[in-house]
Amino acid sequence: MTAPTVQKRQPRIIERPRRGRGEGSSPLTTVVLSIFAIYCLLPLWWVIVNMFKDNSQLFSTFGLWFSSPSHFLENLNILFTRQDGIFWTWLRNSFVYAGSTALLSTVVCAAGGYGFSKYNFAGKGWMFTVILGTIMVPSTALVLPIFILMQKLGLINTFWAVILPAVVNPFGLYLMRVFWDSAVPDDLIEAARIDGANDWITFWSVGLPLVRGGLVTVALFSFVASWNNFFLPLVVVSRAELYPMTLGLQVWNTTSTGQTPFYTVIVLGTLISILPLILAFLLLGRYWQGGLGAGAVKG
Amino acid sequence: MRRSRVAYLFIAPFVLFFVIFYLVPVFYAVYLSLFKTGRAGGQPVEMFVGLGNYIRAFTDDPDFLRSLFNVLLFGVIQVPIMIGIALLLALALDAYKGPALRFFRTAFYLPYTLPTIIAGLLWGYLYSREISPFNQIFNTKIDFFHPIGVFFSIGNIVTWTWTGYNMVTLYASLQNVSRDIYEAARIDGATPGQIARFIKVPLLRPTLVLTLIFSVIGTSQIFSEPFILKTSGHYIPDNITPNTYLYLAFSRDGNFYYAATLAIILGIITFALSGFFLKSAFGVERR
Repeated sequence: MTAPTVQKRQPRIIERPRRGRGEGSSPLTTVVLSIFAIYCLLPLWWVIVNMFKDNSQLFSTFGLWFSSPSHFLENLNILFTRQDGIFWTWLRNSFVYAGSTALLSTVVCAAGGYGFSKYNFAGKGWMFTVILGTIMVPSTALVLPIFILMQKLGLINTFWAVILPAVVNPFGLYLMRVFWDSAVPDDLIEAARIDGANDWITFWSVGLPLVRGGLVTVALFSFVASWNNFFLPLVVVSRAELYPMTLGLQVWNTTSTGQTPFYTVIVLGTLISILPLILAFLLLGRYWQGGLGAGAVKG
Repeated sequence: MRRSRVAYLFIAPFVLFFVIFYLVPVFYAVYLSLFKTGRAGGQPVEMFVGLGNYIRAFTDDPDFLRSLFNVLLFGVIQVPIMIGIALLLALALDAYKGPALRFFRTAFYLPYTLPTIIAGLLWGYLYSREISPFNQIFNTKIDFFHPIGVFFSIGNIVTWTWTGYNMVTLYASLQNVSRDIYEAARIDGATPGQIARFIKVPLLRPTLVLTLIFSVIGTSQIFSEPFILKTSGHYIPDNITPNTYLYLAFSRDGNFYYAATLAIILGIITFALSGFFLKSAFGVERR
């Protein structure tokens, strides 16, 4: 691969043909897109329908439509009071894990990306290659030895065991470097230096405000990755009060067999567990898009 | 660009985390893979076995080889289907000029934002014989966990989760292409189909290769989906993927040495495959 460059949107000399003028999109296009949209949304629709049911309705009524009476409030009550309201704890844990990871990861990637983008130093080339190459290392190859190392350090069953390993984010470093390359011209850095700013002030006061978009993108990616992570917490925490929501719901789902299944409560729980993500996506969608665009490397 | 040692201060925090949580674990895993638990006078001791674990994995562990074969087969079928659909949708979305553009983009991307474990949990319900809306609508009793059918069930979850993500990536790089090119082609008499086939797809090649590589990496590491289906009470073979198998060696048998060996083998295979795709896509034309 050559040095990463962001494909920049070029100015459009000829405007895109207006709608309805000769070449509109064919009905087939719309049909294909609609079918796939239904496929994508169907499981979520199922969640919305079934969080209103109780367990017997889950088995006895049609899964894609509502049935009365509604058991929504009852489910909500069970969800938040079961096992002394441990679901609150899981919710809080997920926020603490994902929030801390996103914060640390963004700071570390922003500084690292700046170093790789704005300086020349011995070892720069191979260091960046090694870091990017590890994107391909399977997480299991890391998590298992991390478990043993954490055990030796006495960090198993602590918050740190879930947060610290997730801070390293090679893709985040790559993204930040691309943002520094494209949003902050080297001339500007040079000008700041000539004006007497030291390296730190140049980075902090001159550079950082210009890569705000990049910071949000990396923070968002780390937050979501940590919120969704399952394997790491599965291995490094075993006490229920340290579970993030993903692990908590999985454990509930596993134990929800036998006499008193509470599947629809879990269904409601899954919706609550994904609400922050859907919200983040809807509110910050353009940053998401920006990150993906930066991933489009010219060969 | 300036040459300065100050750079090391900026990259130090990242490098520190990287060394502790990437390099050290990887080398530690390599170290672990050279040992096994032996017995000396009734006491378990660490015994150096050299490449013994690797030899065992390839010659004396049909379950592991089976799991490798499973993901290989799975990758050969599922990845092209998924990327094919993603490409088709990206082209369709690029050509679409109606009012629902934002809706489609959001809908396609939504599954990716879900934790894989939650996606697996939901599909586990949708696959339950008694609950499945599919069985309810068509009045069938399909067993989604049939020994062969289960691969399609898992493939569907993976496709559901990742197609939209790949589609948005492809779509984003299509959006970066200057519209003049299409206009020029149109003036030369190219049909929309020809523009898609001979202009858009070749332009997407670098992005396609990247999505392909990320899909290969993802496929080799499938874990959450079979794990959650299994713990939801469905029958899933222990060795359906290398990761479920090595997790078992690790968590049930407590055999860290062998689990580390399997993780490294998996890593090397993934690395080799990704490198192969990168080289065959970008390496040749460079010369």
